[in-house]
Amino acid sequence: MSLLHVERVGGLAGFGGPGAHVRSRGQLDPDDLSAEERHAVEVLFKTRGRAKGAQTPDAFHYRISRTTAAGTETVEVPESAVPTALVRCVKDELV
Amino acid sequence: MKNAPGFACGRVSSGSRRDRLAPRARPPRCDCRCFIIPTDVLERMAKDKKLTPEERKPFVDTMKVEKEWRKARVALSKLSHLVRTVLPAAPAAAAPAAPAVTVFDCAHGTTLPGSPVPNPGTAPDAVAKRAFTETQAVADFYQTCFGRNSVDDAGMTLMSSIHYSINYNNAFWNGTQMTYGDGDGNIFIDFTKGNDVIAHELTHGVTQYSARLSYTNQAGGLNESVSDVFGSMFRQWQADQDVTGADWLIGSDIMGPGATARGFTCLRDLSNPAAKHCLAPQPTKFSQYRDGLDPHFSSGIPNFAFYKAAMAIGGKSWEKAGKIWYQALTGFPPSPNMRMSAFAKRTRSLAASMFPTEPAVRTAVDKAWTAVGL
Repeated sequence: MSLLHVERVGGLAGFGGPGAHVRSRGQLDPDDLSAEERHAVEVLFKTRGRAKGAQTPDAFHYRISRTTAAGTETVEVPESAVPTALVRCVKDELV
Repeated sequence: MKNAPGFACGRVSSGSRRDRLAPRARPPRCDCRCFIIPTDVLERMAKDKKLTPEERKPFVDTMKVEKEWRKARVALSKLSHLVRTVLPAAPAAAAPAAPAVTVFDCAHGTTLPGSPVPNPGTAPDAVAKRAFTETQAVADFYQTCFGRNSVDDAGMTLMSSIHYSINYNNAFWNGTQMTYGDGDGNIFIDFTKGNDVIAHELTHGVTQYSARLSYTNQAGGLNESVSDVFGSMFRQWQADQDVTGADWLIGSDIMGPGATARGFTCLRDLSNPAAKHCLAPQPTKFSQYRDGLDPHFSSGIPNFAFYKAAMAIGGKSWEKAGKIWYQALTGFPPSPNMRMSAFAKRTRSLAASMFPTEPAVRTAVDKAWTAVGL
């Protein structure tokens, strides 16, 4: 399976916004995830509509992408829905 | 007394008046300091098939209490408004107690709210003390300048959690409370160090209990903007600055050494939203707006309009421009999908009706919005 590309966006500082000089990105191999975490990621992609959940002011969101035989798919979900391993894989940086 | 599962209770500090829980903030069946577990969590637990019926029952019961408690708070808020409307001379006699302020320590975990900090106003942890003191000050600001009693205008307890997660570069309002990270020490430092940040987060609560602006598209931009506007206004009020002495920056006190070394002095600048010293520059014209933008980006347009209006009016921002913006936010039925042009129209109208003998105020607000293309 291809790598998962993860970007943390939003927050009080507007991470990853147009022209923003702060962003937070990372990637990881799904094979490095536990079975439970892999399942959680699958659920995020399958329930992309519902996973968006309530809009919490200034909370981070995560944009998670993967490429499969069907093409590249991306979901954007609130931080509270993201498995810890994905949260930990991103690194904040100035650009 | 055993608590219902929706409420977790800590020690009640016996410090200042604000340090005590106001009676109206107490939910039924709980004789101690309490906080709410989000209803979606309660609902999930109440329906969790992995739990026995006996285990689910307390969550079901608590959901009923929660529902009634919310109704009571709405009724109290309406009554409060009614008293001020019908009996304009009465507020001094019926002055509400200041809202209780509580602080919890996440100890670098992510479970909210964390452990209660006893007597946060005199806590040895400077972060706890600062979160307490500045939250109190924001409550004072809203009470003194706008006659508002806490974020819900009904004395809601103001709860903050500090030391959230590890090197966490954010602060947020989750619908119930404020949460602050310590920063990574490079891009950002402790988020409680920004008095404008604390006022920004609390203003999200004010918006939630008034205009109920959504968090997407134009309403989202307005939502973020009013938090920046009142965040900056609070900073000016604390420093007793007039509009010419204000820095109009958001987040200047939480910038870390790595960011300042690169020349970034703030998150946003109301006086120059597109400036290079902003970590997240913003648009200044409505023509740059499109749906789907991050609200922290599109908020630059109404931010710039407020700055221009306040500067043209002069004096202290909270005395005229601030009062107009506050009334536009709180003085009407909820408008979750409000467009920026509607907000602009509302402030133009209020400028005329609230300051009928000062046509310059109306002109200032009108020109400010026109300058940003609205």
